[in-house]
Amino acid sequence: MRGDTSNPASTTPRQFLDELARTQRKRLAGAAACGVLAGASTTALLVGLAWLVDQLIVQGQSLRSLSGVFSLLVVLVVLRACMQWGQETLGIEASLRIRQRVRRRLLEQLAALGPLWLTRHQSGALATQVVEHVDALEGYFARFHPQLRIVVVLPLLIACVVGALDYVVVIFLLLAAPLIPFFMALVGMGAERLNREQFGAISRLSAHFVDRVRGMSTLQLFGQTEQARRDVWYATDEYRRLSMKTLRLAFLSSAVLEFFASVAIAVVAMYVGFGLLGYIDYGPASSLTLFSGLAVLLLAPEFFQPLRTLSQHYHDRAAALGAAESLVYLLDQPRKAAGPANTPGTGALFELVDVEIGHDDESVLREVSLVLESGDVVALTGASGSGKSSLLALLAGFMAPRGGECRRCPHVQMAWLDQSPCLLQGSLADNLALADPEAGPEAMREALNQAGLGELLETLPQGLETPLGERGVGLSGGQAQRLALARIYLSAAPLVLLDEPTANLDAETEAFVVEALGRWASAGRTLVIATHHPHVRSIASRHWHCAHQRLEEIAP
Amino acid sequence: MKAFFSTLYPWLSLLVRRRAAFMVGSLLVLATLLSGLSLLGLSGWFITACALAGLLLAAGQPSTLDIYVPGGGIRFFALARTVARYVERLYNHNMVLTLLADLRYQVFGYLTRLDAASLGRRRASDWLTRLTADIDTLDNLYLRLLIPPLVALVATLLIALFIAIWLPGLALLVAGVLVALWAVLTLGFTAWGFRQSGQQVRDQGTLRNLVLDQLQASAELSSYGTARWHQAKIDALETRSSSNQRRLAFKGAMGNALILLVCGLLLIMALRVGGEALATGRIDAPIVVMILLVVLGSSEILAPLPGAFLKFGASFQSVLRLDRLASSVPVETATNTPLPAGQGGYDVLLENAGYRYPGMLERTLEQVSLKIGAGDRVAVTGISGAGKSTLANLLLGRLIPTQGRVEVAGRMPCDVAFDQRASHFAFLSQQVDLFDGTLADNLRLADPSADDAKLWRALDQVALADWAERQPRGLSTPVGEKGRRLSGGQARRVALARLFLRGPRLVLLDEPFAGVDAETARHLAKSLDRWLQGRTAVYFIHQVDDVSLLPGLTYSYSLDRGRLTAIGSDHAR
Repeated sequence: MRGDTSNPASTTPRQFLDELARTQRKRLAGAAACGVLAGASTTALLVGLAWLVDQLIVQGQSLRSLSGVFSLLVVLVVLRACMQWGQETLGIEASLRIRQRVRRRLLEQLAALGPLWLTRHQSGALATQVVEHVDALEGYFARFHPQLRIVVVLPLLIACVVGALDYVVVIFLLLAAPLIPFFMALVGMGAERLNREQFGAISRLSAHFVDRVRGMSTLQLFGQTEQARRDVWYATDEYRRLSMKTLRLAFLSSAVLEFFASVAIAVVAMYVGFGLLGYIDYGPASSLTLFSGLAVLLLAPEFFQPLRTLSQHYHDRAAALGAAESLVYLLDQPRKAAGPANTPGTGALFELVDVEIGHDDESVLREVSLVLESGDVVALTGASGSGKSSLLALLAGFMAPRGGECRRCPHVQMAWLDQSPCLLQGSLADNLALADPEAGPEAMREALNQAGLGELLETLPQGLETPLGERGVGLSGGQAQRLALARIYLSAAPLVLLDEPTANLDAETEAFVVEALGRWASAGRTLVIATHHPHVRSIASRHWHCAHQRLEEIAP
Repeated sequence: MKAFFSTLYPWLSLLVRRRAAFMVGSLLVLATLLSGLSLLGLSGWFITACALAGLLLAAGQPSTLDIYVPGGGIRFFALARTVARYVERLYNHNMVLTLLADLRYQVFGYLTRLDAASLGRRRASDWLTRLTADIDTLDNLYLRLLIPPLVALVATLLIALFIAIWLPGLALLVAGVLVALWAVLTLGFTAWGFRQSGQQVRDQGTLRNLVLDQLQASAELSSYGTARWHQAKIDALETRSSSNQRRLAFKGAMGNALILLVCGLLLIMALRVGGEALATGRIDAPIVVMILLVVLGSSEILAPLPGAFLKFGASFQSVLRLDRLASSVPVETATNTPLPAGQGGYDVLLENAGYRYPGMLERTLEQVSLKIGAGDRVAVTGISGAGKSTLANLLLGRLIPTQGRVEVAGRMPCDVAFDQRASHFAFLSQQVDLFDGTLADNLRLADPSADDAKLWRALDQVALADWAERQPRGLSTPVGEKGRRLSGGQARRVALARLFLRGPRLVLLDEPFAGVDAETARHLAKSLDRWLQGRTAVYFIHQVDDVSLLPGLTYSYSLDRGRLTAIGSDHAR
């Protein structure tokens, strides 16, 4: 995995793509081979066609005597179609597998980076990376990568066939050949520049649009919606004007390839025509026949075709490189979550020895030494920013200590509650399963009852299967917090970590949460509660206070 | 089927509204294709004719072959194809970008009329981003689904007509086979891939939601030890979605293979028919070769169809979403009741007003009754989620009460025309929106005609003038996307300064002192006190920490779980 290499900066987007391509080497090679075979079938088909025309017109053969060759052409047509199908399906299969693999790696990396890292990053942007940016790799592996191999082999193959028929034409094609890398670079630069500039401009433009849309409420409040609507039109139109400038140049490079293919036909046609008329009396022109002449005419554009296809797929490469850059950045983020740890002394859940906690270069708490025994109910107080949340994160294993040692009892089940309980897209049951996927409907109902959502459940016709969130019903803040309580009731985890569980709650829900804390305490669960609330403190058997980068235990 | 077309129709007609441009764009594509075919066909004719003339010359017989006209034709078509392609690409891209502007203008128009409930939805920014992508998809329809099938059909018919000059039988065969293939690739492939390509888009949406869940519930998943359970859900979706994508891709590959197969076989058939005609002497050899090469090139005409039409279902999902947006825009309910003219604050009356958001189980506001005299100042306290912004939006007419009555100056606010509301009501919302532009741009949103001096005065009122003077670019300082270059407190003060640039008669202030230090808060309070003279004001605040910040308060209320109770006027006056 890239995520834990010692020198992460060494991966470039191209290396990343190459590395991914290696995992599907066989399929990608198969796709390229199919593409070459399809091209070879086309070549044979065209040569066969030219031969038949020559036989029919010049040699005056009857159709009947040529039926064997006709059948051969039918076989070639079928073969070509099959090979084309094979190239596409193998490419797609490789691309699908690669994307699945990358997505899994990303999700593993995000899980390993942990909740603390995630709070500092926009989840919407990260989801875009996991979904859209991974999908942006599709065309590169499905189409561009095989075509890059085809482009090396197929023109050579066609050149050989053309050379066998008439070496002057092949000299013409081969003279054009050194120009091809040159124009390819031109196409490449054009496409790359186009992509960079367009991508930049279009994302700026989209940002402009989203910016206005996001601030729609404000625009409405100030009565500026019509003005903004016109702005949107003008901005898009201005973008059109600017990008047409770029496009004029960028399309030139692909026009060059187009030009070559057209000129190849024209030049070969003139050469062959004059040769056949006997106007050219040097080189192989005098031995030209309708067969060889027609064959080289048909093969000349085929010589350029792989390259034209490649240039059509060039934007796939640019898109993949852009996506790879953002993916590599994410995969190279150093993981900071806690690794395996030593076991504390008997009876204790945690033992912290001279621990230092902090983010980046700043330490929040130092010289923390404490023992958390099973059954302890701890109130953790301190001003905001004093390190309460960091200590909870350390206990939960979301972060590793910067110094000292944090010994933890292995395999202790944990429950977590913070001030903004997360609702998953899914049913009520899915939201409870988050705490215990094995739990049955009865246990879930019981947990909801205990959390004071029993009445609500009765009013829902779909019961536990009621969808929540965007497509379903919405819960108020208090209801969401009760759902989070129900998760804790359901989980039976002996250790419960709570970060400001009563913040931002209405009076009734707040009282309910305090009561639940008392019930868990008397049920023998271990609680660590970061809180400001005096009632919560009265339940606690121990009191830790954070101030001035130190943690102090206050005697009850 | 009927629903399919009736959904699609308005959007497609928007795309082809610029009819002349659509025709020119299509003709350019057609010209490119026909030049290519002509180049190939003419070249074939030319060398065959040359071969036959060469044979005659070799046999010592005279030949009357004119080599200059066909030679010129070949050079012309070679150039014409390149030029037509280049011009076509430029022209059509220009068109697509023009349409993008049209589409965004149209969709933005729908958005401007959404109410506060729709704009404040959960994961709203996500929804908006997807909307932008949907517009792009619709825009792409133009180059993928509108022009290519039209051009392919016309080109096919032209080819058949051309062949019919010499071989009507073959022409019928070519037309029959190619039109049938065209129908399979467009209509057939639309139906064949419709469900799966639609599913692919839905799967992508589901995946996105599951990933968002993993990110947002990461603390829960990691502490409860259920991360694997969630991962298994994602894996199951991925497996399902992969096999769906695989089937779709196989179909796409089938389409391309089908074109090669049918056009290849058609070519061989054409060779046979041509050979037979040749044997009976009905036709000249060069013409046969020309026809053959035209048939050979015809596969290029159909090539773009299968991929585009297989994914019609996916494009249709975008159209559906945009359509849902268009239909979710509330019908113009405002009866454009004018607000009373004159000076001074408006009085406010709520009687048993309640509001329930669509889909919510509970009412967010329940039986709220409140009376505010003209020019009075009241405070409503409550935690976040208690219903403060809902109450504010009811007063602003941005939400229509689901029960009871809300009146400002004796009118239902939602009946008042948009521009009247905008000029007489003002709201400092909890989440302030600054736009990616300069400080001055953001201020002038409130008063486009304000001169710099007026902007500086407003900044002075919110204690930002000193700061702005220290910025090298002063009023032209960029604030960044979402105002990110400013601190949270500064952004809120810029938003407050915007209010000072206006002359509203009802002012709603949600947490006006959030994120500023005590000294600045006092400065803001003083400015507010002066500015609020002769206006009706409602402060929405978490809790009243310092009464001196709210001078002239006549009454205060507390809002808990949507219910409003009077605290009284004990700390006022």
